[in-house]
Amino acid sequence: MPTFFIRRAGSPAAASLTDAVAALRSRQPEIAREDPASSIITSVCELPEREATLTPVPEWVRPELAAAYRAKGISQLYSHQAAAAEAIRGGGNVVVVTPTASGKTLCYNLPVLNAILENPDRRALYLFPTKALAQDQLAELHDLEERLGDAFAVFTYDGDTPADARRAIRERGHIVLSNPDMLHAGILPHHTRWLRLFENLGYVVIDELHVCRGVYGSHVANVLRRLARIARFYGSEPQFICSSATIGNPRELAEKLAERRFELVDEDGAPAARKTFVFYNPPVVNRRLGIRRSYLGESRRVAQEFLARGLQTLVFANSRLHTELLLTYLREANPAPPGAPSSLRGYRGGYLPGERREIERGLRAGRIRGVVATNALELGVDIGSLDAVVMAGYPGTIASTWQRAGRAGRRTAAREGGCAVLVASSAPLDQFIITHPEYFFGQSPERAYIAPDNPEIFLNHLKCAAFELPLQAGERFGATSIDEPAEALESAGFLHRSGAAWHWTDEAYPADAISLRAVTSDNFTIMDTTGGEPEVIGEVDFASALTTVHPKAIYLHEGATYAVDRLDFDGRKAYVHQVESEYYTDAILYTQVRILEQAARKPAAVRQARIPDPALAGQRAAGNAPAAASHGDVLVRSQVVGFKKIKFFTQENVGAGELELPENEMHTTAFWITLERDLVAALPFSVSERQAGMRGLLHAIEAVATLLLMCDRRDLSAAIGERPPEPGRPEASPALEETADGRGLEEFFEPNLYLYDAYPGGIGFSEPLFQMSGEILDRVGELIARCPCESGCPSCVGPPESEMRPKQAALAILELLKQPSG
Amino acid sequence: MRWLNHDRVRAVSALRRVRAPARLAPLAEDPCEGRARLPELLGAEVARNRYGEFLRVRQWLAEPEPLEDAEVLPRLLRTPAEAEEPGDSKRWLFLDTETTGLAGGTGTCAFLVGLGWWERGGFRIEQLFLRDYDEEHAVLLALAERLEERPVLVTYNGKSFDWPLLETRFRLTRQIEPHPPRAHLDLLHPARQLWRVELGTARLAEIERHVLGLDRGPDILSDLIPQMYFDFLRGGSPEPLVPVFEHNRGDLVGLATLARRLARLGNAPESGGPLEQYGLSRLFERAGDRAQARRVYQMALGAGLPRAVGMAARRRLARLARRDGESELAQSVWRGMAEGSEDAEQGEDDAERKQTLEAILEACEQLAIHYEHRERNGQEAIEWTRHAIALLVDAESGFGLERRVRDRWRTSLERRLLRLEKRSA
Repeated sequence: MPTFFIRRAGSPAAASLTDAVAALRSRQPEIAREDPASSIITSVCELPEREATLTPVPEWVRPELAAAYRAKGISQLYSHQAAAAEAIRGGGNVVVVTPTASGKTLCYNLPVLNAILENPDRRALYLFPTKALAQDQLAELHDLEERLGDAFAVFTYDGDTPADARRAIRERGHIVLSNPDMLHAGILPHHTRWLRLFENLGYVVIDELHVCRGVYGSHVANVLRRLARIARFYGSEPQFICSSATIGNPRELAEKLAERRFELVDEDGAPAARKTFVFYNPPVVNRRLGIRRSYLGESRRVAQEFLARGLQTLVFANSRLHTELLLTYLREANPAPPGAPSSLRGYRGGYLPGERREIERGLRAGRIRGVVATNALELGVDIGSLDAVVMAGYPGTIASTWQRAGRAGRRTAAREGGCAVLVASSAPLDQFIITHPEYFFGQSPERAYIAPDNPEIFLNHLKCAAFELPLQAGERFGATSIDEPAEALESAGFLHRSGAAWHWTDEAYPADAISLRAVTSDNFTIMDTTGGEPEVIGEVDFASALTTVHPKAIYLHEGATYAVDRLDFDGRKAYVHQVESEYYTDAILYTQVRILEQAARKPAAVRQARIPDPALAGQRAAGNAPAAASHGDVLVRSQVVGFKKIKFFTQENVGAGELELPENEMHTTAFWITLERDLVAALPFSVSERQAGMRGLLHAIEAVATLLLMCDRRDLSAAIGERPPEPGRPEASPALEETADGRGLEEFFEPNLYLYDAYPGGIGFSEPLFQMSGEILDRVGELIARCPCESGCPSCVGPPESEMRPKQAALAILELLKQPSG
Repeated sequence: MRWLNHDRVRAVSALRRVRAPARLAPLAEDPCEGRARLPELLGAEVARNRYGEFLRVRQWLAEPEPLEDAEVLPRLLRTPAEAEEPGDSKRWLFLDTETTGLAGGTGTCAFLVGLGWWERGGFRIEQLFLRDYDEEHAVLLALAERLEERPVLVTYNGKSFDWPLLETRFRLTRQIEPHPPRAHLDLLHPARQLWRVELGTARLAEIERHVLGLDRGPDILSDLIPQMYFDFLRGGSPEPLVPVFEHNRGDLVGLATLARRLARLGNAPESGGPLEQYGLSRLFERAGDRAQARRVYQMALGAGLPRAVGMAARRRLARLARRDGESELAQSVWRGMAEGSEDAEQGEDDAERKQTLEAILEACEQLAIHYEHRERNGQEAIEWTRHAIALLVDAESGFGLERRVRDRWRTSLERRLLRLEKRSA
């Protein structure tokens, strides 16, 4: 168990930690008692120390393995480790939910190694989301390998593995440590070379399961379908073992990802240090506009409270740029003695591996007093535990926040405890979390979703599957019979049917063209013609191409500005040349949503979904509710019709242009709320204020939805449109996308507020959003109501345009739509 | 699946091909008729085994004639000792495949397996063809049977391409497990050694034309072959396949002729040109036949090699001679190199000049070592060391070695000089 008993000379007394927390608390203004909106410290949560729940090592563990662990100082197991090991031993698929530093690797290493020692033919495949994690695990397993007298062999297999080492790994590796991308493009398409592995594959371990969500998770699910298919071909049926950070639906995610039943082990038997968790909201400096003091500056102040008291501190920033900025600030405040290296370091992707290892060692040894890091340090890299963690900005998900906070808290005998501080930015998500501590500390509401049957993703992996082994008629890929999709691929020329099987008939190697990080690989290449010969300087995906590299756009790349001369739509190329520009461009995008098929409908404010009543679908109202929630398939048409020129720094609008670009169509899935005519008519606001209120409401819904779905803001898009007279009818009223500049503003009598998946085919968000529409609206109400701004700000409904009251209008709409049927 | 029943499936980009399939052949008016015409068109017969039918083309050619003294070939190729009788050319099976792609991986298939062997004083060719993927098992079984009869494979680049691909295909059957070949003679490596310098390529067709004097007549672009097969599978007319079969036969004949040529050169190096001899001697050296290697290096040098190649040959010869205790031979080669130091000024390009210079420096250094330790002639040793340093200094002003290499030479030479001068003083 990775418990870190590190004693450092001159280590600060627990008192200095208490001092630092007291100093933070003293920043709370007096007025906060009467006016919670001005609160800076919105929550201080004391998490008590917890003793370990220990159980003996199970009897079935082979004596040499038990001895190897004993020699590492582990003679008993935490209760969750024992529970997981027993469940795996029992032959089940297991998902283990474990907080940071609770000894999760033992959960799978113990039963897997035991099985290999019992039968040296046994093989296991471990999949990690990053190469760094695989390296970390390699060190741990090498140590055990040595203690067990080389009774098993373990290797990493990734893009860095030298070609001459690969053969040995394929033949001799009992445990192969890799990642889903390598499995997809490097292992499965060459499975005959991995005969030994696949014939004897007993275990597949998926580490950091919660990372497998959205687009990436949907790809990984398909890679696992292919893996299971190949394993079956060689006669093996591996068990799956997943480890996950705390999320709301770990078991559901595992079952959807691996398409089999899982046992959940989530009771944590690891000890925990006493910890103080502080929520810190930078003070408001302009009430009316809802402007707060810079969270980066505040994070620096908070971190300084710890560093000044000699406490080892880890600061997390959400981007590389912010990492560098904070590091500079903190070094200025803590100059190193002349000639000595600074004891404050940065840590992010882009640093060399050797440099990273040196920082990790420095942290463990106490030589380094402070580190400013990106999420590169969030996942299981071994750095020991520190006194304090400061998060500059909400990490985006509750799970990540806990993982980062888990870095604080020593469990040393004399002075124990730790402190984690979350400093909120003014983004809606940050503001929601910081003002809803109960939401954070309660049961995790975050749920991870995937859509393995997204047509793009499904078909791309079906191609790879056909390359790996011919598709047999009647075969299933996931739950889907492959016959129809295979016929579609056949008529497109990728497959050829011979007898009862479809064979791959293309010279290209399909996995090469498919990235697990994107839905399609349909990208535009950016060609720089500044130097005469066109030179490739970058790529943008199809969807962003229309808004970022349209003709006359200013394209930003590596800090330089380029003017776009020509967009070659068919050749998927944009020609640019470098210019000195004082402005950048912001495309004006018109978006229109057409409903193709409504899957279900219910009153919007209901918290739990009812079984959709087909009799209601398509009717003008869901019961008598003032607003209905629906989900289904939609066609999104978008067109860039013009652009604005915005001056750097001042953000002044310095001009505009019109464009005629082809319309882009995308079939996807959407969740939408329909506001009934009566509701809209009952609003005591002007027409334009109503529209602003609707847009503001949608802005807040989008923020809350990304919170609940653990997704990126770019994964969802929003649009408003007049409800079509009859769903499914081709005629639809025009809708305005929220970035539109207000031209052609028209009154909506019965608007639909759409939230659609920003990927062709949909990525599985719409139905969950529909199911939780009641909860979403409750949260949206809280977010807007608790925001201290006057009439709207970027933290709640978006910035108000002149003289409008979007905040009040949005709250009035929410009030009305929650009223019981009338 | 809900989405598939919708017209939207056409919009899915996963179904769009980056390169539209350039259909090379028109669709046959009647695909069944086209297929039926195939045997006659190719002069093929329908063969059968327990996995079903496939097409087989058999031809016997009077040329190339069987190879008698073949033992030298496996020796030149450093065939592992455990191989059984790789020199018995009656057990050789020439192999060349036509495939659905060059990418490799489990989705690439060999649709035409061309085999050849010596028979009745001539060359027998047998081509196994799958008219569709479901005939693959039958073809693989037929190949496994041939391989049992003749277990020594002879290929061109087959070690990295054809054979691993076929191994994958065998594995994918989960049923047919051929005996692994007893030996595998891949002629690409020796051909490269012998002719790439001269031809600038080691493509079999070029070697045939320029070295073996074979003329294939019009040949197809091999890049087009996969698409020709795909077109046929999808109901294209069978005519475009005829040149694919011819191309495959051409490769087999070229391969057998090449084997004869290599064996003759191996048995009688004097029959080759100087560059061929130089390549041969390197093969002998790699194969561990050092006496023969020395002999052929000298033969090549005697016949006259281009300057740069000659320098490389002398360097190798001298090293070999020293290792084998042929001190006098080594001396004379080094002396020749060191005395012809004006060579260092010439050369096609910087790379060549650098190589030449380093070879000369090595020769001077070796001579110094020789005089110091063997002859105990300190003065002579000092002379050669000084000579080398002078060359190095000259070289610095004109064309240069990289600083790293130059510094290394300089340090080692100056250290030697210092030691020698101290001792003689």
